[in-house]
Amino acid sequence: MIVYFIAIMLFGSYFSKYNRSTNDFFFGGRRFKWWLIAFSIVATGVGSHSFIKYSAMGFEHGISSTMAYINDWFFIPFFMFGWLPIIIYTRIRSIPEYFEKRFSPSARFVVTLFLLLYMVGYVGIGFLTMGKAILPMLPESFSIFGFTIHITLMGLISVIAIITGIYITFGGQTAVIFTDLAQGIILLFAGFLVFILGLDYLGGFHTFWNILPTEWKLPLANYNSPTDFNFVGIFWQDAIAGSIGFLFMNMGLIMRFMATKSVDEGRKAAAFNIIFMLPLSAIVVSNAGWIGKAISIINPDIVSPGTAPDQIFVVVSNIISQPGVFGFIMAALTAALMSTVDTLINATAAVYINDVHRPIKKLLKKFSSSEKIEDKKELSAARVASVFFTLMGVLAVIPFNTFPTIYEAHGYFHATLTPPLVIAIFLGVFWKRFTPAGVITTFLGGSALMIIGAKYPGILIAPFDHGIFMDPVHPYTYISALYNLVVCLGVALLVTYTSFFQRKIVEKIRNTSNHKNIMRGLVALSALLLATIIFEFAPLPLLIVFNIILIITIALTSTYFIKYDETKNTEGLTAWSISKAKEMFKGRKINDREGQVIKVHWKMKNETLDVINFSRKDMEKMSANAGDLVYLCDARRYLGGLKSIHSSYGKPHNQDGIVYINEEHLKTGLFKQDKLLTAEKEM
Amino acid sequence: MPSFFNTWLPYIYLYGVGGFFFLIGMILVRKTGGLNIKKKRHRYWRNVMIFGFFYFMLLHAILIIAALYW
Repeated sequence: MIVYFIAIMLFGSYFSKYNRSTNDFFFGGRRFKWWLIAFSIVATGVGSHSFIKYSAMGFEHGISSTMAYINDWFFIPFFMFGWLPIIIYTRIRSIPEYFEKRFSPSARFVVTLFLLLYMVGYVGIGFLTMGKAILPMLPESFSIFGFTIHITLMGLISVIAIITGIYITFGGQTAVIFTDLAQGIILLFAGFLVFILGLDYLGGFHTFWNILPTEWKLPLANYNSPTDFNFVGIFWQDAIAGSIGFLFMNMGLIMRFMATKSVDEGRKAAAFNIIFMLPLSAIVVSNAGWIGKAISIINPDIVSPGTAPDQIFVVVSNIISQPGVFGFIMAALTAALMSTVDTLINATAAVYINDVHRPIKKLLKKFSSSEKIEDKKELSAARVASVFFTLMGVLAVIPFNTFPTIYEAHGYFHATLTPPLVIAIFLGVFWKRFTPAGVITTFLGGSALMIIGAKYPGILIAPFDHGIFMDPVHPYTYISALYNLVVCLGVALLVTYTSFFQRKIVEKIRNTSNHKNIMRGLVALSALLLATIIFEFAPLPLLIVFNIILIITIALTSTYFIKYDETKNTEGLTAWSISKAKEMFKGRKINDREGQVIKVHWKMKNETLDVINFSRKDMEKMSANAGDLVYLCDARRYLGGLKSIHSSYGKPHNQDGIVYINEEHLKTGLFKQDKLLTAEKEM
Repeated sequence: MPSFFNTWLPYIYLYGVGGFFFLIGMILVRKTGGLNIKKKRHRYWRNVMIFGFFYFMLLHAILIIAALYW
């Protein structure tokens, strides 16, 4: 495992040469082919908690543990032809930036806050899972140079964090993509290895299948029982909130799609991942639990039916494999952690740079004179931010460790922070009428209603329970997602549909002499009401009344303070104007004529302008005009677009099969002199 | 034999409610113009999306039948 860690660290650090700007650091220069992204997504999707969590569910409930991996297709049209083109064509660098463009800086601020909390929490959960998985395999203490060092959970997590931090800090997104590619392959291999060794241990697939009771072989859980694992709850928590969260607001995943060379490559990566890789991943992460269950039926002395579910992956791997193989499997588990955590840390740093660092600099007007110097400074700040968020992730482990299981800690975080973000993104993209007042009230007023729901589940969440029994200790673990989605959606619709009345009231207030004081008073009242709800200073009926007043005050103050022009703020920013977004991306009219992909040799030119020059004939083959966008890539397919650039067509020349590039293009693409390049028109 | 609550009810709910969201998505992306079936590439993607939905529907049905009768 130590060798593995070092190898990964060196591998990641190698790719630092491909980081020439913050764009490269975070998005890998928007250059990669779909297959590279699809495989690197596997490693991120199959997070460290997945092996532990889904093996535990497999051990307790059977093959229905795969449910969460095979229910992500329903929102694919919204993603492929709504969100994906928007995030690529608008050139946004983070989800909060989209909210500023679409709504207002204050909407961006609120989203940044929620998103950073969400991501740091995820980093913490990743670290906690890994610490809990590795700790039982290590001795309680060891001696080095005469000193005895005791191994503690936090100590172990700190070491993991340092190693993860090093390679991501120096490698950036390109390192993440390539290490994840390697780790994704290792993960799939290790997962199937456990399955094959397990089946062999049991005496073949038929024995395994025939041992299991019928209920246990079903792919979907019972409709509404038991409380800790039921179909309908998991449907709303995972297939609806989780899928939208996964596709639309997981910054780590979004950044992968932003790293693809085009929207179409992003679509391919998404489709391939959901259709092929997720069902395979479901087997990879769950099968240790199934094998464990089968062994516990045949021989309860080897695997006790009472084994702690969170331990089953390690227990089964240890039983069915030789020591060396076991080490490899545990290294794969480590790979899963690093893949999840490295992506999240990189994404969190991206959010920090784009949504905290730059806006603050803009506010203080402290930009460097040169764009290059500024970019260098930002790259350094991004690296410091990566270290900082790694540290925050380690600190987040402390409160998470107080939850009885990782699953509950994860579920708590997911259920609390996902619904408002999901509703805000979804309506922002698909509903032109959705206003800044609507989005801010969704976050604050919706969250307040979610808090009240969590405090009074028997009254507020029960109407949505589909017959699920309420466990008083952990009430409505999954189905609360439905309640949270409904209240957030309800607030969003209510505020947006009443925006006419809000504008009228605000207009009346504006006509009074002390309108500023009235508004400041309403802001103070909102803060007071929010605090009352959070700290539950009143009984339920009053809390609900306070929440209604809170929604009204936030809607009014947002309408008063935010300057919003629906035409300007929706152009190219909603699914209704994607063609406009495409035009804005290119900077001129789109050339949709279909052209060929051609192969060329490159030559240098002494020019700094960001255009590349082909022969007239080659441009005709590509159906390209001067000013169109072009993608130039090393022809070796296995590189997956690593050595490539985006540029525009310049004036044509007469040397067929030759493209002229400048020094900057060469530095970015790292092309080799004797290697052929492929060129294709983008748009 | 497991009850209806264990077998086909979750399946119907999954592809009934999930299918509703999927259908809304298909209609919406067509209406917004994001999916323009005049373009060959977009027609391809429309077919992939419809295929994906039925692929998962079939996959779950086969798994349920295998659990019950195999």
